[in-house]
Amino acid sequence: MARRIIQIDLNRVEGDLDFQLELEDNKVVDARCIGSLYRGFEQILISRKPKDSLVITPRICGICGTAQLNAAVLALEHIGRIPVPPTAIRIRNLCLMAETVQSDLRQSFMFFTADFCHSKYIRRPFYEKARAAFLPFKGLVHRGALEYSRHIVEIIALFGGQWPHSSYMLPGGVTTPASSRHIIDSLSILNKLTRWFEQTIIGTDLDAWLAVQSADEFFTWLTAKDAHADSAIGLFTLMSRDIGLQHVGFGTPHMISYGAYDDPDDAGTFPPHRKHLFRAGFLNGDTGDIEPFEQAEITEHVRYSWFQPYSGGRHPFQGQTIPDYQPHSDRYTWCKAPRYQNKVVQTGPLADALIDGEPLIRSLYQAEGGNAWLRQFARLHRTARLLHKMRETLHELAAQPNQPHMISPDEKEIPDGEGFGLVTAARGALGHWVQITDGVISRYQVVTPTAWNASPKDSEGRHGHWESSLIGLTVDDPDDPVEIGHIIRSHDPCLVCTVHLLDTGKRITVWP
Amino acid sequence: MGTRNIVCFGNELHGDDGFGSRIYAELRRLTWPKDVEVFNAGIAGLNALRFLENCSQAILVDAMANFGNVGEICVLRPEDLADRPQQLTGHGLGLPYLLEALKVIREPLPDILIVGVEIAAVTPFSPGLSDKTEQAVPKTVQLIRDLLSE
Repeated sequence: MARRIIQIDLNRVEGDLDFQLELEDNKVVDARCIGSLYRGFEQILISRKPKDSLVITPRICGICGTAQLNAAVLALEHIGRIPVPPTAIRIRNLCLMAETVQSDLRQSFMFFTADFCHSKYIRRPFYEKARAAFLPFKGLVHRGALEYSRHIVEIIALFGGQWPHSSYMLPGGVTTPASSRHIIDSLSILNKLTRWFEQTIIGTDLDAWLAVQSADEFFTWLTAKDAHADSAIGLFTLMSRDIGLQHVGFGTPHMISYGAYDDPDDAGTFPPHRKHLFRAGFLNGDTGDIEPFEQAEITEHVRYSWFQPYSGGRHPFQGQTIPDYQPHSDRYTWCKAPRYQNKVVQTGPLADALIDGEPLIRSLYQAEGGNAWLRQFARLHRTARLLHKMRETLHELAAQPNQPHMISPDEKEIPDGEGFGLVTAARGALGHWVQITDGVISRYQVVTPTAWNASPKDSEGRHGHWESSLIGLTVDDPDDPVEIGHIIRSHDPCLVCTVHLLDTGKRITVWP
Repeated sequence: MGTRNIVCFGNELHGDDGFGSRIYAELRRLTWPKDVEVFNAGIAGLNALRFLENCSQAILVDAMANFGNVGEICVLRPEDLADRPQQLTGHGLGLPYLLEALKVIREPLPDILIVGVEIAAVTPFSPGLSDKTEQAVPKTVQLIRDLLSE
């Protein structure tokens, strides 16, 4: 039996992430997801003034800094029971959506679909179309994604002064009102992107696309017109299914969503009880039921992580992050292992859509399960929903001019206590847990979407979601495992995925 | 007529990888003609396209690997990178990727030169340059001034 180890480096903007896979006769028999870069943000925040988190935590990520900022401010508002006006919630939502739209378009068409241009597929019927659409810097869709995705975050710059790493959300609201100029400029940016999305990505108008609500309707839609089949989402679907991505990459059946975008009509309710525009919940993969989400059910394990050991799992309010690098032990990562109800879970746009009850994604899931194609499809489907919701939000802001964008808190300082902020970032469930003692931060715990998905094994030896999504996969050529690239990228790890073989030192890229 | 932009790349937390940021700090202390703008792109990746949108000329400053002896200063044109896309030390997707992306969003391209130094090592979480790389800083600054005075 031929046994070998391959290591895959996932070079991310905000940190390094690797996979180490063991193959037996070309089948993945074990997987280790390795966070190879210690960040230390939680320690940096200790003993600082609470509002420092609004400047420091957006720097956790160059892609989802708005989501980090929102989680940080919600945690402080939770502690201080600080009210926020509806206009501020709308501006926060608008900016969060803009950031997610950019991330999703780039993930889809600058990273995921480029793999269809791999020379392995040269004899596939779709190959020429794949190159015409998705070849980096040459393909029409790749070029369009590069051009159009970069402008959408200008909306955040309008309201936040800069992007990335902005700090315009403060306890009580945001720093800038929704002036008519900002609204008009935002609509102009949004319209330009929406037109491209309709013409190139979905081949129809947004409303018609969002009206497709079941698997049968979708597959009928796909073949109804050449414009549908030749659209980016049509090509992506046909190519994915031609190579069988609907049959691989399932991972754990359990999913969580913190819910997305606070409901401005429920602004009078303090977080964490404020309603969301997209619902929170836990999809229990054993029963298929969607249960209410309860943050108290979250724990983090460090049995296989390079942190000072503790037994079992701890809720973030009891969390401990003391680095303890042990390179020659069975510990293998700087990531902790978050669990919900002591279960391995996944998060991201597929989980969000299913838990929110989005009919098309739910129908496709019921037909084939949470496979690699559907995970990526759900991400693109979300873009359509968000473009629609962003327009709605801007119209709401325009309809209520001169409304307050900030309610200055009665107290200048955030009081002692504990609170949390839970949001949906582009990659899924993001949470900040904060405790304030004697006026300064005494504990700060961040659980990112990638911590959920890229989790190592836990105290009971159970693999994390990404790891389990690869175990059992057969690759045709271990020297060029493009299949692994498809699955890993369906989870949105971000950037170029390179592979090198430990046994030969030979370096190979999965990038086409 | 567009501006002439100097765009410096690097991560100052990672040893010699911070060469571009080190150069930026030096360049900021100098007086420049009105049409010259100096930017620290850090590890901005694709977001650095913003610094190259409207200029007529650009000098990109970055750390380099496998272009010469440690401490050696190199001046390259984008086409020199065409067949060695992975050779520069990568910030996000790296300069070659950024230059390919630039071709998509603007035509014609600005006149681009890449100024770099062959570095000793990228050392995670070790701020400060190695001796040989540090020694290349004054010459690099002078070279950039000369390039913009031509």
